[in-house]
Formats: sequence, structure tokens, C-alpha cells
Amino acid sequence: MSYVRINGMDPGQGITAAGVRRSFGPVEAVRDIDLSAPPGQVTALVGPNGSGKTTLFLVLATLLVPDAGVVRVAGHDPLTEPDQVRANLGWSPDVFGVYDNLTVREYIEFFATAYRLPVGDRRSRADELLDLVHLDTFRESPVHVLSRGQKQRLGLARALVHRPRVLVLDEPASGLDPRSRVDLRELLRAQAADGVAVLVSSHVLADLEEVADRVVFIEGGRTVAEHSLSALPQTSTRPWRVHATDDTALVLSLDAMGMAHSAPTPTGVEVSLGSDEEVADLIVALVRAGVRVVSVAPSGGDLEAAYLELTKERR
Amino acid sequence: MSGTAAASPAGISGLTLDGLRTVARQEFRLRIRAGHWRWLLGLWFGVVVGFAVLLRLGLAAVTPAEDDRPLGPPLFGGVMLFVLGLGLLIVPALTAQSVNGDRERGTLATLQVTRLSAAEIGLGKLAAAWGTALAFLALTLPVVLWALIEGGLPLGNVVVTLSVVGLLLGVVCALSQALSAVFARSITSALLSYLTVFALTVGTLIAFGLATALTSEAATVTYEQPAFDPQTGEVIPGGGTTTETYRTTRLRPDRTWPLLTPNPFVILADSAPRLDRHIDPRTGREVARPLDPLGELGDAVREARRPPRDNVSYGLDSGTTVRGGTGPLWPYGLIVDLLLAVGAASVTVRRLRTPIRKLARGVRIA
Repeated sequence: MSYVRINGMDPGQGITAAGVRRSFGPVEAVRDIDLSAPPGQVTALVGPNGSGKTTLFLVLATLLVPDAGVVRVAGHDPLTEPDQVRANLGWSPDVFGVYDNLTVREYIEFFATAYRLPVGDRRSRADELLDLVHLDTFRESPVHVLSRGQKQRLGLARALVHRPRVLVLDEPASGLDPRSRVDLRELLRAQAADGVAVLVSSHVLADLEEVADRVVFIEGGRTVAEHSLSALPQTSTRPWRVHATDDTALVLSLDAMGMAHSAPTPTGVEVSLGSDEEVADLIVALVRAGVRVVSVAPSGGDLEAAYLELTKERR
Repeated sequence: MSGTAAASPAGISGLTLDGLRTVARQEFRLRIRAGHWRWLLGLWFGVVVGFAVLLRLGLAAVTPAEDDRPLGPPLFGGVMLFVLGLGLLIVPALTAQSVNGDRERGTLATLQVTRLSAAEIGLGKLAAAWGTALAFLALTLPVVLWALIEGGLPLGNVVVTLSVVGLLLGVVCALSQALSAVFARSITSALLSYLTVFALTVGTLIAFGLATALTSEAATVTYEQPAFDPQTGEVIPGGGTTTETYRTTRLRPDRTWPLLTPNPFVILADSAPRLDRHIDPRTGREVARPLDPLGELGDAVREARRPPRDNVSYGLDSGTTVRGGTGPLWPYGLIVDLLLAVGAASVTVRRLRTPIRKLARGVRIA
């Protein structure tokens, strides 16, 4: 399935981009990216480092002119109507600075002012957002005492300050502790439930799998695939984790069968298997060889498997 | 710009008072909280007052007892000269990281994606920097008041001079800020800011000197002098005159003086009130003014504008070869400097405009 239909393009005012290209001197950061992020859904942008995610986000965020391509954010062209895009877009870059000498509340209030919220709303909006990202206990603390993960959450609050209809977040989960990751997922789901179009990039594929409705794979500045998460392509093989009471015996048996495997860890070894039949065959063979198998489970999510398959093809 | 963009209250090139105030207030707040401002302002005040006290003591020591002219003008002029000189050193440091510093800290992009326009960001930051410079100037007001009490200073004139110094500091703010918007590294823009100040102060002087030397011309000058009694050296009344004609090479500063006008010190000196000329009734010569460098400088510049005469008479028109007297030139210089500042501010705003098409080397957007 693909949402990229630029003529008659209207995935209900989310994000659409078609044929986006941008180079910096001789470096082609983005060669040909198509993607769409419809409202009410979380779209994940997945790709290796240097695949053009951040450059694409700069184009969406009205900061960078693409060399070619058509982009619409909330129904507006970032190139010719940046102010309308800004009024509707919340953007948080992967790294950003904060004004160290402000308190957490002052920081959000400043952006409320910069987004031209009415005077009476600024403080209440700041309080509301700090509750939302669980920084309420830091309201009066200077921003510079915040940890990396807390700053990331502050950036998220900043991006949300003007109740944007489109949310573009570059690596929002980086630096977050496990609890905060769960909170972030819930927050993104809630935004989508409110009809916001959410586009999010991350390296933590397990996280994305929990939160995303759709995924766009990019590599080398090109869109490689665009899928609904419920319809990820079946991969030929995927990793499985096998654990036995005696992992040494397990490794010996696998070697005897001529099956490739990872180095043993306290939770077992990883093997690459295709169909369910292959998995069952392996269990039978191991039990016959006298290995006391404790568990055999798929390792990593479907998204990770799909991603690894895609990048493997291009190696 | 499309029609819909223009319809927005804060179009992309829009400039609203609200937006300007938002940026300026934020910048000011960050500046106040960042540095050791109380110390810096206190130190500045102490240095200026200390200088004024020493200058006043010095003036009292070298002024002859019979000179009853008030000491207000040399005191005020000296202090303003000092304040401008020190201000020109401090202001680049205040402003030379205005834009690229924010880029380096990663706070510029998040500001640019808000509804604030490039003009609001650039001019708001400039207003905050200039406001800081004016705070330094405001701290010299007690000393100015003291000079007023000393007397001899027309209040209107003092207000003009203070405004001129304030504007000149603003000009340097705008120039430094533009450099910080053009160059990616703050160390580069800081260095170039100081070189700009150097060019305005020393550079204009060098240019004037070289240009004057290079434009010297051959001239025929007729000197006319009355007959002297060789014994007494007195002019013989009714003794007629003798004329002599020379070919000579002469300088024409009256053609090159515009090179001096952007110099902040020249502008200040020419705009500042100075002591009345005192002509000694016995000799017909002007009495030198003690320790008034500003007044001397102002006169020297005005003198430079006077075209040379092809006929020079000695001894016939004593008292009329008074120095100075060719009208003020500081308004020209101030206009030149203000135009530079306006150009610099527009460069800054253009550099802040997004989306960016051409990215300068080494500049990171976010």
C-alpha cells in the first residue's frame, strides 16, 4: 500500500513528499524520497545513519529548500507558505540546544510566546505540557540541570506547545530511559488518536513496532519501501533465540548439524530460520541429540526482521 | 510570496512589534543571567568615574589661574572620548556571537521554526545588543551631570553628543551582528568585528593620510606682505606691500576629508561642544586650550575642509586667519555609518531567512 499520490494528494492534510532531492555540494543527502504520513497515524521513518532522514526533516520543517520534489505539510508548501506550515507543525531535531539560564517553565513559556499563543494561555499551556512529559517536578529548575533524556522530553513539550496538527520528531527516544520510552509511545499514540499526523524516526525498532501504524524504509537517500505495519513483507529468514539448560551441549549439537549460530550468551544462542517447519525440525533434532531445550523464541520484532532483510539485500 | 502567506498577520518577512519585543526580551534576559553583569557594569562605572576624577584634577592643574573658562566642555569631551573608545572595545564582544553562537549552541533552528520572522529574530537580537551597549552609556550619566554642573555646556549640545555616541555604539553592534550571521565560527566573526572597528578608527585615518599625500598638487601661490622696518620688525604704515609668487606642492585635504567622516572619533569630536575661542587681545592670537583633545580634533577636521588660497596675505588681516569654522561635518559621517548599519542589519536578516537554499560552508542548520 502506498499513500504517495501527489496529484490529488490529500491524505487528509498530513505530510506528503514526492521525489524530494537535496544535495550539499557533491554530497547527495537525499536522492529521491517519497513518503506520506496521514493524520491519525504514526508513521515511522527507518533507515541507517546517513540515509537522509535528518535532511528530509529539515525540508519538512521549513528550514531547507529541496533541489527538487513536491512537499506538503498540513496542506501547505514549506517553500512558499512557511508560516502556515510553522503554525501547524511541531518539530524536534535529534540534537538541539536549550537556553541554559532559563527555568524549565520559562523555556516552554518563551516558545508559547514565539508561537503567538494568547498571553493568558501561555502559563497554563506550559504547566499542562510539563505534566504531560513528566517534568512537572522540574518546573522551577534551570534547564541546565536536566539530564539528556529529560532535555529530550523538554524538546517534545516544546514541539507540542502550539497544538500542532503535524508532528515531526527526529530520534525522540534517544537518551530516554525505559520508563520514558513507554511514556513517549503512549504520548505519540494519544497524539495520533487526536488526529495528529505523526512522523517519527528512530533506531530503536522494537519501540517503533509498538507505536507505529506505518513504516517507511529509506536508504542512501531513497525510499526503499513503504508499508503498513500489519502488512510487513514476509521475510525469508529471521533470527530465533534458542536456550538450553546446557548451552555448551547446544552449541556442539548445532555445530554437528552444520547450522550457523551466534556466540552463546546467558540467554542462549541466535540462529537464522525461515518457516515454522524449519523451527519445529530444529527443536526435534536438538531433543533427539539429547539437548535439554528450555525455549525457542523469535528474536527481535517483525520490523527489525524486515529492516535487516532490506539492508542485507543492499549490502 | 503567495497570497495566503501575505494574508497572515506575521508573514514570513513580517515584522511585528510583538515579535520584536519577544526576541529582544528573551535575549536581554539570557544576557543578564549569563554573565557577571553586576561586576562588569560596576567595573565599568568605577573606571569611568576614576578617569573623570583624574581628568578633572589634571585640568585644574594645567589651567592658568587667569583662565576663567568653565571646565565643563573639556571634562565632558574627555569622558566621552574615553567612553567611546572603551565602548568600541566592549561592543564587538557583546554582539560578535549573536547569530553563529546560537547556531553553535543549537538554539537557532528551534527559534526559526516558530512563527517569529527572520526580521523579528535579527532585529530583536540587535535591539537587545544595542540596549546592553546603551546601559553602559547610561552609567556614564552621573559623570555627564557633573560636567554640566562645572558649567559651559549647553544642555542641547550634550544631548546631541550622547545620542551620537549611542548611535555609534549601535552601528558597531549592527556590523558585528552581521559578521556573526555571515561567518560560521564565532571566533572568526569576533576577530573580524575588531578589525572592522580598527578600520573605522585607524583605517579611515590611514586612508585619509595616504589619499591626501597622493592627491597633492603643484600650485602657484602669491604671497603678499607689507613692508617691514628691518630694524624694528614693525610694519611701516603706508609703506606699501611686496608680492612674491612661488611654485609649490601643496596638500588638498579639502578634497580627501570625506574619508575621515565615518571615523567614530571624528564624528564625536565634531559634534561635541567645545570651549569658546579665546583671542588674546594683546597678541591677536588664539589662546591654546588646555587638555581639550576633543575640541582640538574637531577644529582640525573642520580646518581640513577649507580649500587652500592662492593668495596669502601676511600681517594684513591679523585675527581673521582663525582656525576651524567650516561648518559641522559630523552629520555626513553619522549618515554614512548609519547606512552601513542598515546594510549590516539587512544582511543579518537575509541570513536568518528560512528555508535556506544555499548553505554556506561549515554552517549547520540544526
